[in-house]
Amino acid sequence: MLLVLSDEHKEHLGFLTEVDTAVVGEFGRIAVEFLRKGSNPKIYEGAARKLDVPAETVQHGVEGLMYLLTESSKLMISEMDFQDSVLVLGFSQELNERLLQLYLENRKEIRQILSELSPSLPHYHNLEWRLDVQLASRALRHQVKPTVTMKLHLESGGIRNARVLQTDPATLLHLIQELERGLAELKSNHCRRILRNIK
Amino acid sequence: MELSESVLKGLQALGDPVNFDMNKFTTLSELAFRGLLSSESEAVLDHPDLKQIDPIVLKHCHIALTTFILESVKQNADKSTVSSCLEDVRFDTERADALCTLYQVKYGYLKLIFQLCSLKQNKTDLENLLSSIDKCPPHITDVSWRLEYCMKNAHVHKVNQPSYLISFSVENGDNGRSSEEELNFSCTMEQLQDLVGKMKDAAKSIEKAMQL
Repeated sequence: MLLVLSDEHKEHLGFLTEVDTAVVGEFGRIAVEFLRKGSNPKIYEGAARKLDVPAETVQHGVEGLMYLLTESSKLMISEMDFQDSVLVLGFSQELNERLLQLYLENRKEIRQILSELSPSLPHYHNLEWRLDVQLASRALRHQVKPTVTMKLHLESGGIRNARVLQTDPATLLHLIQELERGLAELKSNHCRRILRNIK
Repeated sequence: MELSESVLKGLQALGDPVNFDMNKFTTLSELAFRGLLSSESEAVLDHPDLKQIDPIVLKHCHIALTTFILESVKQNADKSTVSSCLEDVRFDTERADALCTLYQVKYGYLKLIFQLCSLKQNKTDLENLLSSIDKCPPHITDVSWRLEYCMKNAHVHKVNQPSYLISFSVENGDNGRSSEEELNFSCTMEQLQDLVGKMKDAAKSIEKAMQL
């Protein structure tokens, strides 16, 4: 699968052919940094002064790289496809190599960052449990009622919260049995076939 | 068993043959138990068999009897305790036996209601009577799960990760109201294995504790 680059994008990246390869390397580093932490316009201005070009040109260059990296990471394109995709930019062989290196080195992390953007439910983080036996209450004395108190830690968008829940031993066994069925299903022929074929 | 003066007096009035003959007594006892156990409360005062009795006395006796039943169950009183307590308030033996038999028959059911009442307070009579009963954290009653295979989303393609959506059915047994809710969360296979592993630890420790 090849990347389709828009003319505007090509024009923005065209600036990279006019500067030194070391500068491109620096831009690449900044692009990855911005993907991690968000962009910082001051850096554009500083770089623009040094290179004696408008700050906008620098911004376009860096943002063009960021877009190139996110798009290729999103589609998880292969090494070969990446090289073919950037070919249309008319960069030197050395520059192409550098971009490929940049892509391969950061792909995993960028995909990680991108996956945080996808909508998700609260997800499991941890479970703490405690075994209690209720012996008496205000309304009823002489009880022997085993209960399992559980603290379920969930995480959603970086925020953790915990719910305290309770269940009885019989239900606990039922829960385990039911969830184990869920786990076993992943090993079934049906699931394995689908997992194998969707790659 | 400690009973208030009002309850003792009510029980004495109940044991007085001038107020209640055997039939009326049985009717009232049955009504008292039914009042506790059934959601359709029958009006004691309007009952045809009990019409002749002074409503104030009848009301007093009914309250006393109901309190006595609840207190006996609460204290896990056995037949001899109940009998001796009733003899103390000068019940004649025939009547004490009648009450005891009823008590024994309905005892197990009533006790069960006690344990369940924080969860299943659909019985409006019990709600009012036992509104101060046992509070406990939300109770998990069931679980359902769904297995998904995430292929892509708007930001990342070729994700290709299986994931589970777990949904716990949770029952809230707050005073007087019982409400069901669903607690949904997702987890990966590893996380689900972790969850099940920890639940199994809990189940094992229960099993061990049972053997003690």
